[in-house]
Formats: sequence, C-alpha cells, structure tokens
Amino acid sequence: MLSAQPPTTRRVATVTLLCVVALIGAIVAGLGVGPTSISTTRIIGALASGLGLGHSTLTPLQATIVWQLRAPRLVLGLVTGAMLSVAGGAYQGVFRNPLADPYLLGVASGAGLGATFAIVYVGHGLTTPSWTPVLAFAGATIAVLLTWGLGGRGLRATASTLILAGVAISALLTSLQTFFQQQSSIDSIARVYIWLLGSLATASWSSVWMVLPYAIVCVIICVAAGGALDVMSVGDEEARTLGLPVRKVRLVVVAASSLGTAAVVSAVGLIGFVGIIVPHILRLLVGTSYRRILPLSVLFGAAFLVLADTVARTIMAPTELPIGVVTAILGAPAFALILIFRRQLTT
Amino acid sequence: MNAVEINELSVRADARELVADVTLHVEAGTWLTVIGPNGAGKTSLVESVVGLRRIAHGSISISGQPLASLNERERAKLVALVPQRPSVPNGMNVRDYVALGRTAYHGLLRAPSAGDRAIVESVLERLSLQDFCERDVATLSGGERQRMVLARALAQSTMVIVLDEPTTGLDLHHQMDLLELLRREVNDCGLTIVATLHDLTLAGQFADRLVLLEAGKVILDGPAHDVIRREELSRCYQMDLRVIDIDGADVIVPVRGVSE
Repeated sequence: MLSAQPPTTRRVATVTLLCVVALIGAIVAGLGVGPTSISTTRIIGALASGLGLGHSTLTPLQATIVWQLRAPRLVLGLVTGAMLSVAGGAYQGVFRNPLADPYLLGVASGAGLGATFAIVYVGHGLTTPSWTPVLAFAGATIAVLLTWGLGGRGLRATASTLILAGVAISALLTSLQTFFQQQSSIDSIARVYIWLLGSLATASWSSVWMVLPYAIVCVIICVAAGGALDVMSVGDEEARTLGLPVRKVRLVVVAASSLGTAAVVSAVGLIGFVGIIVPHILRLLVGTSYRRILPLSVLFGAAFLVLADTVARTIMAPTELPIGVVTAILGAPAFALILIFRRQLTT
Repeated sequence: MNAVEINELSVRADARELVADVTLHVEAGTWLTVIGPNGAGKTSLVESVVGLRRIAHGSISISGQPLASLNERERAKLVALVPQRPSVPNGMNVRDYVALGRTAYHGLLRAPSAGDRAIVESVLERLSLQDFCERDVATLSGGERQRMVLARALAQSTMVIVLDEPTTGLDLHHQMDLLELLRREVNDCGLTIVATLHDLTLAGQFADRLVLLEAGKVILDGPAHDVIRREELSRCYQMDLRVIDIDGADVIVPVRGVSE
C-alpha cells in the first residue's frame, strides 16, 4: 500500500474503509472494555437501539455504565482526537512545515499557564477546581492572540514570523507557569503535572457539550480549507498568483485550528503526538493532498485517541495511565517507522 | 488594444529604487521580453505585473482593468505567472498540479467543475503532457517540469502570461522547445507574453519586442534589431559583446578578456 507515487483512487478508498473500521472498532472498545466487561453484541445492540433500531439488551447497571460513564468519555475522546489531528494537519499545511503540531503557536503553554493558575491560586493546591477548563481555554486563546500580535502584523503574517513568535510566547508562558508551580505546594505540583499529561477520566456530558460546538465548527472550517492548503503547497507568492487570498486563508485556518485545540485542551489537558502522528501516517498512505488528509484525520484521529484511551485505562487497571504517555508510546515508534518507510521510498 | 499598460511605474525596496518611472504598453497577442544584466530590475518589473510587488508610484492595467483595484482571484483570471524557481510539492501528480491553475474559477470550497477538468485535460494534451499526468511532479526532468508549470499557467485561461527566466536550468534543446511552444501560443491563441530572459540571442529570435533595462530604467525599447546593438549592450553588461548576423538572426557572442 505504501508507494512514492501519488495514490490511486482504489488506495484512497481502501484507506478510507480502514479508517471507518478503526473508528467503529474504537467506539465498540471504548464502550465495551473496562472493569465491567460488556460483550460486543450487547454494545452493538445498545448503539442500534440508540439509533432507533431494535432493543438494547443491556442490564440497567450496564446501561448506566455505558451511557453515563463510558459514552461521554468516548465522545470527548472522539472529538479531541479528531480536533487535534485535523488541527495538526491544517497547521502543517498552512505553515508548510511537517513538524508543525496544534501547539505550535502557544496553545499548550497558554493552557498550561491557565490550568496552573487555577490549581495553585483558585484551588490552593487542594483540588483541581471546576474553573480549570475555563482558565485553560482563556490562557490558550490569549497565547495565540499574543503570538499573532507579535508575529502576525495584522494580515501580513508569514509562516516564519508566526512560528518564531510562537516559540517566543511559548517560552515566556512556560517560564511563568514554572514560576507559579515553583511558588506552590507539592500537592499543587502533582495536580498540575497530572493535568499537563492529559486525561479523559473526568469526562462528563457537560464537558462534552462545552467542547463540542467549538470542535465541530473548527473541524468543518479546517476540512473545508483542504483545497486551499493544497494550493498553498506551492508557496505564498505562487498561491497568490493562482488566485488564493493566502493571508486571509492563513488567518482563518490558524484561528479555527487554535480555537478548536484550545477548547479540547481545556477539557482534557495536553495530549501530545496525536496532531503530528495521525496526519503523517495518512500522508504516507493517501499522499500529500489536504483534501484527502484532513477528512481522513477526522476518522483516524478520533479512532486513534479512543483506542489510546482504552489502553490507558485498562493496561494497568485499576490504575489509569495518563493518555499522553500512551499516545507518546504508540506515537514515537510509529513516527520512527514513518521515517524508515520514507527513506526507503525515496532511495 | 493594449493587454498590459504600465504607466510611470516605480518599485522600491527600502530606499533603493528597483524600477524607476517605467512606462510600457504591450499590445494584445504580442511577445515582449525584458533583458538586462543582473540587478537591472527585470524580476521586480514582471512581478509587479502579477501583483506580487508593492507599487511605490504609477499604475498597471491588465486588459484595461487597474491591477490595484483587483483582488487575488480577479487578478488570477487576467494574468498568470511562470516563476523563475517554481515550488514543486512532493507527492502531487501532474494533473493535480496543472489543475491548481483553475483555483480562481472554482473557488476555495468547491472542487473543480467538469468544465475546469476539461480545460486541464485540453492543456495537458496541447503540451503533450498526457503521458506524465499521473506521475509525481518531483520525479519530472527539468524540461518536463517547466512544461508542466507552463501548463498550469495556461490552465488559468488568461490573456496575459508573465514568465520570469523560463529557460533557467534547461539544455538548449529544451530551451528552444519551450520557446517554440510559447511562440505557437502567441501566434495561434493570441496570448500576450511578458517575459524576462538572460539569453539575448533567444530573446531576439522569439520576442516581437525587446526592452533593455538598466538600473530600473528603460534604456532601449523596440524590435529586436533596434535593441540588440553592440555598443549599448557592451556598456550595459560591462563587457565586450559582438553581434553577428546569421541568416537574418542576431547572435550575441561575448568576447573574453576585453571587459571594462
């Protein structure tokens, strides 16, 4: 399936089918796997009854576990995976930089600072207060605005000035966050550390409804921009002569990617690697067109994160691993394999 | 009718004047080539015509429409560019690359229409690129690549095409091949070409009109025979050049060791 040649329609169709199968598998695993194991047949029956087809065979206890505990976690995982993957792919296109990830413009450091502030000064290190997502979202949004203000120069932003500004703002906000942490108690540091590693453990329907509107709108905007990102692959100046309003497209894509990322990060913390690894795997399978990469990132990114979360909560049960650890453990070898395949394909 | 009208154009970079008070009118269906030494302002001049340079003074109109009043999309329907060093994205096939030329027509959110695809296929056929259309653009030779970039420009269906050193990196055969192809587009389809070329002999043989630029100013302007003059070119290029007539064509030969 791997080839240096642009992909055939058949290959794209096969990869799309595999992504759909992976997504269905992830949904079934996300609802069925856990301390109370529920059979695949019952999960499929419950999903079908949710769609108005047939009757669920779940017991009342199983129904509570599935719909009140696992389903919000599953949906939040799907939304987060899709958003981070699409944002990563969109950033890679808009900055023409394969190393770009959704945290490039300071979202992670801003969210980290907001969350640290909430835990240290609002929760006084004793709890992770309910304000944490709100302050993390505010921190992430302010960080991106500062980056754009520093490197953007209004609509005259170029990829390199924005990336450099992102590095500067991230460094500044990370140093502030470290300062706040250093001023706080050991309990605070532990709580901040857990938040920074990311987790879907606190997912609830209210956190799903908080994130969902942002994520849906931002994913739609990024996926719709796929064609424009393909045009931008020839560089800003050539793209302009082809009729693309490059600066406006960059502003819209960066705004949508950053806002969507800020929303999901505020709810689940910092989950690394998804935004880089998913678009890169898809690029290897279906070629470089963002018209193909971004829609498939929605499917594969959602499946990848839910499967990673299923591993995170079951592999050392009853202890739960931070999902960021699992995505990195899965992501790093996958990244190495991509590099090896790339090298083989280009030689 | 003039396809391109450049009036009193000045382009600056910081305090330096790259193009100084240039006025040129290019008739539709003709080929104008700008020549001159490195740093004369050729690229700045032609990039201004496609709207890539900020104009310090003066104006440019394409097909009667002032460039300054047009957005990127409107501009791309009037004038196309074949850049000196085009970016060639890995993993894109030739057909998709040529189809980028239709961006201004189908917009950002819609896929190319059947009409767009038909135009792309017709351009691929006209430039004998059908056999390459499924290939990765990064695997093409220099000649094939330049032909593909020209195909993208032709797919824009503009009256005017601007080419900045289109023969850079090509061997003699492929240089002639590309320029003959452009000449056919001018003769058969009424295309207007504004180009820059370093090869003075080829410039003189293919263009209807040459403009000699030096330090951003027009020094000579007219048919090849009026512009290819030994004294002016030797002074401009700061070296001794000879102009030899071979079968009616002016051939410019540099002579070693007599530089000023």
